[in-house]
Amino acid sequence: MRKKVFSVLLCAAMATSMLAGCGDNSEPASNGGTTDDANANNDAAGGSDDADADDAAGGSDDAAGGGAAGKKFALVTKSAGNPYNEKEAEGFEDVINSLGGECIIKHPVAATADAQVSEIQSLISQGVDSICVAANDENALQAALEDAMAAGIKVSCLDSKTNAASRMTFANQAGTTEIGQALMDAVYDIAGGEGEWAILSATSQATNQNAWIEAMKSIMESDSKYANLNLVEVAYGDDEPQKSTDQTQALLSKYPNLKVICAPTTVGIAAAAKVLQDQSSSVKLTGLGLPSEMAAYIGDDDAHSCPYMFLWNPIDVGRLGAYISAALVDGTITGAAGETFTAAGMDNSEYTIVDAGDGGTEVILGAPFKFDPSNIGDWKDVY
Amino acid sequence: MAGKSGRTIEATPQDVWKKRIFSWEGMLVVLFLFINIFCRCISPNYTVANVLREMPKYLSEIFLLLPMAYILMLGEIDISVGSTVCLAATVACMATNANVPFVGVILITILTGAVCGMVNGFILLKFPELPSMIVTLGTQIVFRGIAEIMLGSGGSVSVTNTAGFRALSGEIGPFPYVFFLVLICGAIFVVLSVKTTFGRSLYAIGSNSRTSFYSGIKVGKIRFLVFTLMGTFAGIAALFLTSELYGANTTTGNGFEMDAIAMAVFGGISTAGGKGKMIGGLISAFIIVCLRIGLGQINMNPQVVLIILGALLICAVLIPNISAGLGLKKRKKI
Repeated sequence: MRKKVFSVLLCAAMATSMLAGCGDNSEPASNGGTTDDANANNDAAGGSDDADADDAAGGSDDAAGGGAAGKKFALVTKSAGNPYNEKEAEGFEDVINSLGGECIIKHPVAATADAQVSEIQSLISQGVDSICVAANDENALQAALEDAMAAGIKVSCLDSKTNAASRMTFANQAGTTEIGQALMDAVYDIAGGEGEWAILSATSQATNQNAWIEAMKSIMESDSKYANLNLVEVAYGDDEPQKSTDQTQALLSKYPNLKVICAPTTVGIAAAAKVLQDQSSSVKLTGLGLPSEMAAYIGDDDAHSCPYMFLWNPIDVGRLGAYISAALVDGTITGAAGETFTAAGMDNSEYTIVDAGDGGTEVILGAPFKFDPSNIGDWKDVY
Repeated sequence: MAGKSGRTIEATPQDVWKKRIFSWEGMLVVLFLFINIFCRCISPNYTVANVLREMPKYLSEIFLLLPMAYILMLGEIDISVGSTVCLAATVACMATNANVPFVGVILITILTGAVCGMVNGFILLKFPELPSMIVTLGTQIVFRGIAEIMLGSGGSVSVTNTAGFRALSGEIGPFPYVFFLVLICGAIFVVLSVKTTFGRSLYAIGSNSRTSFYSGIKVGKIRFLVFTLMGTFAGIAALFLTSELYGANTTTGNGFEMDAIAMAVFGGISTAGGKGKMIGGLISAFIIVCLRIGLGQINMNPQVVLIILGALLICAVLIPNISAGLGLKKRKKI
């Protein structure tokens, strides 16, 4: 009996030291990451130097920088292990660090709203000043985010939005119609104006995916130019490489006359590209993909599966999200349409908040960027 | 295997067995206090108010733990509960959106869960030779399939009128309603398992269902009852989960069954059946919830949290075995 109690105490002590060890290890690691990122930022374009210069020049900007110092800015991504989200987090962290704020990045265990709610509740407990979230579900975060706003926390979204009631504003990587138009034109061009094509999406409830798919469908119906294109199926790969691979193979066997697959998701396009290229399929691919993952598949000849694709810069999406958070916290903006703020160090430094068409507001980063064989070599090492 | 056939109750001195069980629950209480002190030390925000505010999301899983413990005591398993939660939550949202009064929504949701549980129970009642793992694996897929059909192409539904669910997630002081409900249900489950014939027959069936059958215990009926109970509580869990998420989608309830099983096993309830106490499961549930909240507050990588919980679970299963082994050796020497 005594021995048993003793052994339990020993185990408990072991567990404590283990946990303490984890805590100690994780902190220097994240600090190390931060310094690296900060250096990268300086090396890249002297972004933070510019920011400092601007701050010194404009009185109000100076106040903005001062307002961010010592505040806690949190970002909740969709899930851990999503390279796109990690790039966004990198940009977010860069900006927050350069503004002198404290940055907390939360990667949920699974790509579910459920997991994000736990993270948001935890952030409320920590008394952060702002939460920026890439939502896994448009409505499911409402209760948690309302709690956050009731506690005085400034809530914004990036990448994938929540409903209007649970956000102040949204950093949109590109307007829905701009993306729909770019993808639709790519499909039209690659298919040669006619034939069967299919969409390989992420999960069936991903807000941004569904919005783009809807935009493509409405563009296709609105213009007779697209009349000979036949969308045969929208397949869902759930943003898992294996499932996306299976779905691509299913599309190939179900539709022998398929000409083009459009995958507006980074996981899906990479999986599909590998399948098509390995099988030397005549089916071509376009969509939204990460240059580093897609470099091996982009080319105009038959040996490559993807002639060209699109994306915006996820680092910039993260940076825009950070500037929005900072502006919300220091009171420059409240999230109402028509307000403007300065994102020092970004190309298009003056941003305006516009109506998002869902009862809320958004800030649009810009049009999607085209990656083709001529420029992929420059971008594949960037992200 | 050994748990089912090798147990000879008369040969084991009654009070030694009792003592061992008692000490396990005692250790859990110590661990619970220890975890709370530990979390308070690592996170300055680990206050009663914050913990209670973060808790409701995890509490819905404790509703699943209660009947799951009974199922494990029977020597069975139910891995369909996550899907049942998904289906019941979907029904709850759709009923609310169809302007059903909120009391009706509550009843329909719980009824949906109960029907799912009954399906499991009925199959196991009619075909007692089937392993419950396989039957519930089948219904897991079926229930989620039905939910996905109901959810349609969008894969998600959200509540348009959230008033009822907001009321449900209300609080008395810092304590959310669901907290009291969990405690009350927990107390009922503990008393049922310890003080009633029904509770004792759970252990008897778990130890040896054939002997129990020949002793006049209605094995099939009890199994049916417990699986229906499981479904009913999955319905209740779905109700409270919806009051946190205001909606349901195809991933709702993913992995809940395993969380519930993990909590029960950590609490000393053997998956082989016939062993363990309800109260242990309940304490271990709160240990896991508190640890998750505490580690979340210091922004520990959630994957690392999963590893820690997994390691704790293995320790929880190992320790009784190791100490039992030590005890045996000692006895042999003497």
